[in-house]
Amino acid sequence: MSATLTKTARPAGGETAALETAVGEVTSAEKPATAALASVTGAVADAAKGAAFRAGSWLWKATGILAFLALWEFGPLYLAAPSTRVFLPPLHEVLLAWGKLFEAGSIQGHLAASLSRSVAGFGIAVVAGVSLGLLIAWYGRLNSVLNPLLELFRNTAALALLPVFTLLLGIGEESKVTIVAYAAFFPVLLNTIAGVKTVDPLLVRAAKSLGLNSFRLFQKVILPSAVPTIFTGIRMAGTASILVLIAAEMVGAKAGLGYLIVNAQSSFLIPDMYAGILTVSLLGLGVNFLLVALERHFSRWRTAVGA
Amino acid sequence: MTAKISLRNVSKQFTVRPGKKSGGTATTLTAIDSLNLDVRDGEFLTLVGPSGSGKTTLLDLLAGLSTPTSGEVLVDGQPVTGPGKDRAVVFQQYALFPWRTASANVSIGLEGKGPDGRKLSRRERAAKASEYLKLVGLACFEDRFPHELSGGMKQRVAIARSLAYEPDVLLMDEPFAALDAQTREQLQEELLRIWRATGKTIVFITHGINEAVYLGQRVAVLSARPGRLKAIVEVEIPDRDGAEDIRSTPAFVEQRHKVWTLLHDEVRLAQDAGHRKILPDGSAPDEPATHQTPERSAA
Repeated sequence: MSATLTKTARPAGGETAALETAVGEVTSAEKPATAALASVTGAVADAAKGAAFRAGSWLWKATGILAFLALWEFGPLYLAAPSTRVFLPPLHEVLLAWGKLFEAGSIQGHLAASLSRSVAGFGIAVVAGVSLGLLIAWYGRLNSVLNPLLELFRNTAALALLPVFTLLLGIGEESKVTIVAYAAFFPVLLNTIAGVKTVDPLLVRAAKSLGLNSFRLFQKVILPSAVPTIFTGIRMAGTASILVLIAAEMVGAKAGLGYLIVNAQSSFLIPDMYAGILTVSLLGLGVNFLLVALERHFSRWRTAVGA
Repeated sequence: MTAKISLRNVSKQFTVRPGKKSGGTATTLTAIDSLNLDVRDGEFLTLVGPSGSGKTTLLDLLAGLSTPTSGEVLVDGQPVTGPGKDRAVVFQQYALFPWRTASANVSIGLEGKGPDGRKLSRRERAAKASEYLKLVGLACFEDRFPHELSGGMKQRVAIARSLAYEPDVLLMDEPFAALDAQTREQLQEELLRIWRATGKTIVFITHGINEAVYLGQRVAVLSARPGRLKAIVEVEIPDRDGAEDIRSTPAFVEQRHKVWTLLHDEVRLAQDAGHRKILPDGSAPDEPATHQTPERSAA
């Protein structure tokens, strides 16, 4: 009796309706009422705990951010020495600077410049990485030839090649798009290869027994089963492309968020610099959110494996 | 009666890649040795044999997933050259495509051109998928993904997928081995019902003697490795279609004992030799040449 009660009451969570019916059952039961009552109070406590836990976890998550923002706002005023305060403006000054930059339209301009570069580079990387990855994974011999070379390139920091790209392609858009493409290319490529290589051999056997030819096998079995892994690569590439782009823009550019940050710093417009940094963070968050959502959409069939 | 499937003197050997410890010489593993077997049209034949006796190898040959080293595999008198739409395979581990819904899994075999050279439209395929899902008792589960189905339901989908493109022959490789006892019994009954309704020729591999005798009109017993046909037992049980529990009839027990006796010596032989399952690349973990775990290449 008590066991069934706790069972019915527990999944109710914070809903009182289910609890009331459970209590009703208790009053109708005669002898084991006390035991059942104890279990119901336990369940109430559990439900409350569950709701509190959820609210608490949200609070906890927000606490970190809020504490950080508070530190940013009040830290420079009360904790920092006057000499460093100049370099650490409180949050409201940064937000005001951001508002001014927004009104003047310059933040939109820089954001657009950065976005167009990273989207172009990222797009090239995804197309090239996926198609080359599929080719390499499909033709085993190509893999053994290219693998050592790819290892070498992959382990060369993209930014180390920035001077090369600048020399070859100038300080214009081409060099920046190229370095973004280069940095984003390898996560996509390597994950594509891994995705194709880790296809369940049983599924390949099943597809063959269904009479699918090589092309159909690739299209209907290997590609779809590799999609989640490929998207992991694409998400990593998204992060990498922004990271590298900002650095590239700091070195030589006339527009873009990286330029905004470095230019504000050298012009001693410190709040503007922080406004730029804040924009970069938000851009990174936004891109990651978008790619995670996309990844989730394409791996829906895989989600409940652990559930 | 005409033979739907004939195996004529079929042998299958695998060249096992040398492991480092064995000194670098390639060895051969004989999985099946000069096997002769005829399967009649519309027959339900079950195949039992000890571990490593080449049951799955034999099924791969029938499916056209591999070719015999010597001998012939004939279906309708024609040699098997590869997988074909006249045969379908049901695997032990279901092998459903996890990114496809039940309905899309069932209809995958229908996506190419049909035997009449016509391509079915999406709606026609969905309708056919529903029809076969209904046949296996899964009406209203069209839109579920495999991860949302139980083991028994997955295997039902796999059976529906195999039936959907209307093959003559159903090849089943221990399809119910991973299921719990109750689900297994239920699916055995359903399979018999489907077999009676569709008149397919079924070759069913199992390691369960009960299952073999319950399902099969004939039970083929394979010897320990190398696999040869040891005996064929005609299962004669009166009143098979009756409602009563035939597993406890004296006739069933007698047939079961017959198969058990035939299999028993072979199982002991295989056990003494330490035979293990033959891996897809043709090596077996118990063979001396394969101390190394063999590399398995995908695709």
